[in-house]
Amino acid sequence: MSPPRPAETPQPADSVLAEAEKRASFEREALTHLDSLYRVALRLTGNAAEADDLVQETMLKAYRAWHQFEKGSNAKGWLLTILRHAFINEYRRRIRHPETVDLDAIEPFSVFADVQDEDPQGTFFDRIVDDEVLRAIDQLPEQFRETVVLSDVEGLSYDEIARILEVPVGTVKSRLFRARRMLQGKLYNYAVGMGYIKGTPK
Amino acid sequence: MNCRECTEHLYEYLDRELTPAVKEEIRQHLADCPPCGEHFDFERLFLDFLRARCRAHGAPPELKRKILHDLFGE
Repeated sequence: MSPPRPAETPQPADSVLAEAEKRASFEREALTHLDSLYRVALRLTGNAAEADDLVQETMLKAYRAWHQFEKGSNAKGWLLTILRHAFINEYRRRIRHPETVDLDAIEPFSVFADVQDEDPQGTFFDRIVDDEVLRAIDQLPEQFRETVVLSDVEGLSYDEIARILEVPVGTVKSRLFRARRMLQGKLYNYAVGMGYIKGTPK
Repeated sequence: MNCRECTEHLYEYLDRELTPAVKEEIRQHLADCPPCGEHFDFERLFLDFLRARCRAHGAPPELKRKILHDLFGE
């Protein structure tokens, strides 16, 4: 490496300082959400390599646009919005096909009604391992899957989810209701199949 | 509040998305109606289970290294 030549390429002190500050604030406010971004990316893309790429791309875009981020506001929501747009624009068409089913026509059934006599506390759920739960989430229609992930995995409020998904809060509520019921149904069927609980698969 | 109205607010209640007034009405109904109370408990346990199963996983350490390299050339 050649020695620095400060006389020919002077670097103004404030620009170095600004870059250092940008980096520090990005590490503090954005990179701390890496785990969340990765979990959401993994559920959206359905595989680890694509999730890696999607998160890398999201972080690059976010760093370039960091001056547009309103400091002190919700960085997690802002990053997830960037991630979701990147997913829709570049990954979804390649990886998964958008749903053609009519989601409103799905009539969710209540698992509780079936188990309330035998296992009202739902202890059979405890026997279901992580991978099986994630597999069941991955089988949900995309609109349900992303809503459940943002709510139940990432703990965002209805309002934050509505902003990220660009839908009304009422839509978030109804999707969440159907998605959770559908997920319960899948896990219940699995538990019945494994003999964790007596019952009839739906 | 009756059982049907109460159940309509099930997830909003568990997700803490209700106004204090509605929340209080539901709390009252659940105290007076054991079947609804059991149902709400079941759903709460299900959501706790779901969170516990899904939040344990994070980004691989290698990914953070790649991102730091992308952004800052390290």
